[in-house]
Amino acid sequence: MAHIDKTKSIADVGDGAAIPIKSDRGLFTAWRIAFVGAIGTLAFLSFYKPDPYLNIIKFVPDGIVVTFKVTVGAILLASIIGLITGLGRISSNRLFNGAASLYVEVIRGIPLLVQIFYIYYALGRIVKIPDLLSAIIAMAVCYGAYMGEVFRAGIQSIPKGQMEAAMSLGMTRGQAMRHVILPQAFKVVLPPVGNEFIALLKDSSLVSILAVADLLRRGREFASESFTYFETYTVIALIYLIITLFFSKLIGIMEERINAEN
Amino acid sequence: MKMLKMLAAVLTVTVLTAGAAFAAPKKIVVATDATWPPMEMVDKDKKIVGFDIDFLNAVAKEAGFTVEFKNTAWDGIFAGVEAGQYDAIISSVTITDERLKKYDFSMPYIDAGQILIVPKAEKGLKIADLKGKKVGAQIGTTGAMEVKKNAGVELKTYDEVGLAFEDMAAGRIGGVVCDEPTAIIYALKKDEYKSKFKIVGKPFTKEAYGIVVKKGNKELVDLLNKGIKAVKAKKADVAIKKQWLK
Repeated sequence: MAHIDKTKSIADVGDGAAIPIKSDRGLFTAWRIAFVGAIGTLAFLSFYKPDPYLNIIKFVPDGIVVTFKVTVGAILLASIIGLITGLGRISSNRLFNGAASLYVEVIRGIPLLVQIFYIYYALGRIVKIPDLLSAIIAMAVCYGAYMGEVFRAGIQSIPKGQMEAAMSLGMTRGQAMRHVILPQAFKVVLPPVGNEFIALLKDSSLVSILAVADLLRRGREFASESFTYFETYTVIALIYLIITLFFSKLIGIMEERINAEN
Repeated sequence: MKMLKMLAAVLTVTVLTAGAAFAAPKKIVVATDATWPPMEMVDKDKKIVGFDIDFLNAVAKEAGFTVEFKNTAWDGIFAGVEAGQYDAIISSVTITDERLKKYDFSMPYIDAGQILIVPKAEKGLKIADLKGKKVGAQIGTTGAMEVKKNAGVELKTYDEVGLAFEDMAAGRIGGVVCDEPTAIIYALKKDEYKSKFKIVGKPFTKEAYGIVVKKGNKELVDLLNKGIKAVKAKKADVAIKKQWLK
C-alpha cells in the first residue's frame, strides 16, 4: 500500500452538510437529535393533522425521485468533467491547462442560479434536449468546475516522488497517472466528492425554477393551489433535512473506513 | 421659556402632520405579478403597466385613494396578502371557489377564459388531444388546473408564463395554456414566436377577474366595489380595454 502524505491532504472544498465530529459521540449527538427530530416531527404532524400534512407528503414522492435523478445524474457527469478539468489544471500542456483554468474561473465567477438559467435556455436554442437532461447538464457543468478543483487537489496530494519513481521504472507519464497516481487519488477525493454530492443534492432544488418537477417544485405546486404555504414548506424542509442527514452520516462512515484502512 | 417654545414647535409639527395624514387620500399597496402581458407587465422604463394597472388607477380616482404597485412573484402572491405585506392583489386573478374560501374578492371587473397555444405543426385541437405530451402553464393558475383535469396529459408548471413559451419553442413541451389576452401577445405578436405557434379554438373556460384582499377586510372591498361601479357607470374602462386588449 502506497504511503499517502497526510500533511498535504486536501482542504475541504465542499459545503455539504456537517460531517459528524469524532469527539461528538454518545446518545445525544447533534446528528441524532436532528435526524430523529425531523422524522418525529414529520410523523407527528401527519398523524395529528393529516389535512394538510399527510396530503403534502402524499403529493411529493415523485418529486423526491426527480431530485435524486438530477442529483445522481449531475454528480456522475460532473465527476467526468471534474476529472478532465483536474487533469487539465495540473497538465504541462499549455492549451489543456489554459482551457481547464478558464472553465473553472468562468464557472466560479457566475452565480449558480444564473448558470442554470443560462445553460438550460441556451441549450434550448441550440439542440432539442428533454428538460430533465437539460437540468442535469446545467447542474453538471456548474459542479464540474468545483469537482475539478477536488480532483486537482486530490492528485496533487500524492507525493511527487511517486510519479518520478513510476517514470524511472519505464512508465510513460500517462501510464504512471493511470496506474499509480489516480488509484490513490480516488481514495483521497472520495470524502470531498461525498460532500459535493450533498451540496449538489441541496442545490438541485434550484432546478425547480426550470419547471423540473423536483421535490421543491412539487411543494410549490401544492402550496400554490391549497394556499398552505407554511405547512408545505415545513414538510419540504424536513424531507430535505432527513435526506441530507442520512447521506452525511453515510459519507462520515465511509470516510472513517478509509482513514482506518490507511 | 425655551422649553415652552420647543413644546409649541413639537405640537405644531404634530398637528400639521396629523392634518396632512387626514387630508391626503388613503394609499393602498397592491401586488401584481408583472409577467402577464398585456394585463400587467414591466415596460422599457421599468414601470409596471397594463390593463389592470390603468383600470385600478381609474378605480382609485373614482373612489378617492391612491395606489402603490408592488411587483411580486405569482408563486406566493396570495401568502403576501395574508401576511399583510400589501393590501390587495390585482393580477388577472380569476375568482374561484377555492380562493373565495381563503380570501375576499371585489366584484368581477372583466371576463376572461383559458385558451390553448401549440406549435404550428400540432394537429390537436384541445388539451385532451395532447395525450402523452407535456403541457405548460404558470404555477397555481386556473390554466394549470385545467390541464390537470386531462388524464394522460402531463402538467408542467412554470414560475412565469414566458418561460413556458420559451420551453415550447425549445421543443420541450407540446402546448401552453393561459388567459386569452396573454396568449394573443405571445402567439401572435412576439416576433420570435409568431412564426412558431398558433392559438387553437376559442377560450374553453368562462372566468371573471376580481381584486383580492385579505379575508374580512370588508372596508377595502366596499371601497374597491364603489370605485369599480363608478368606472363601469362612466364606461371609463372602455378606453382602457381598447388600449390594451385590441
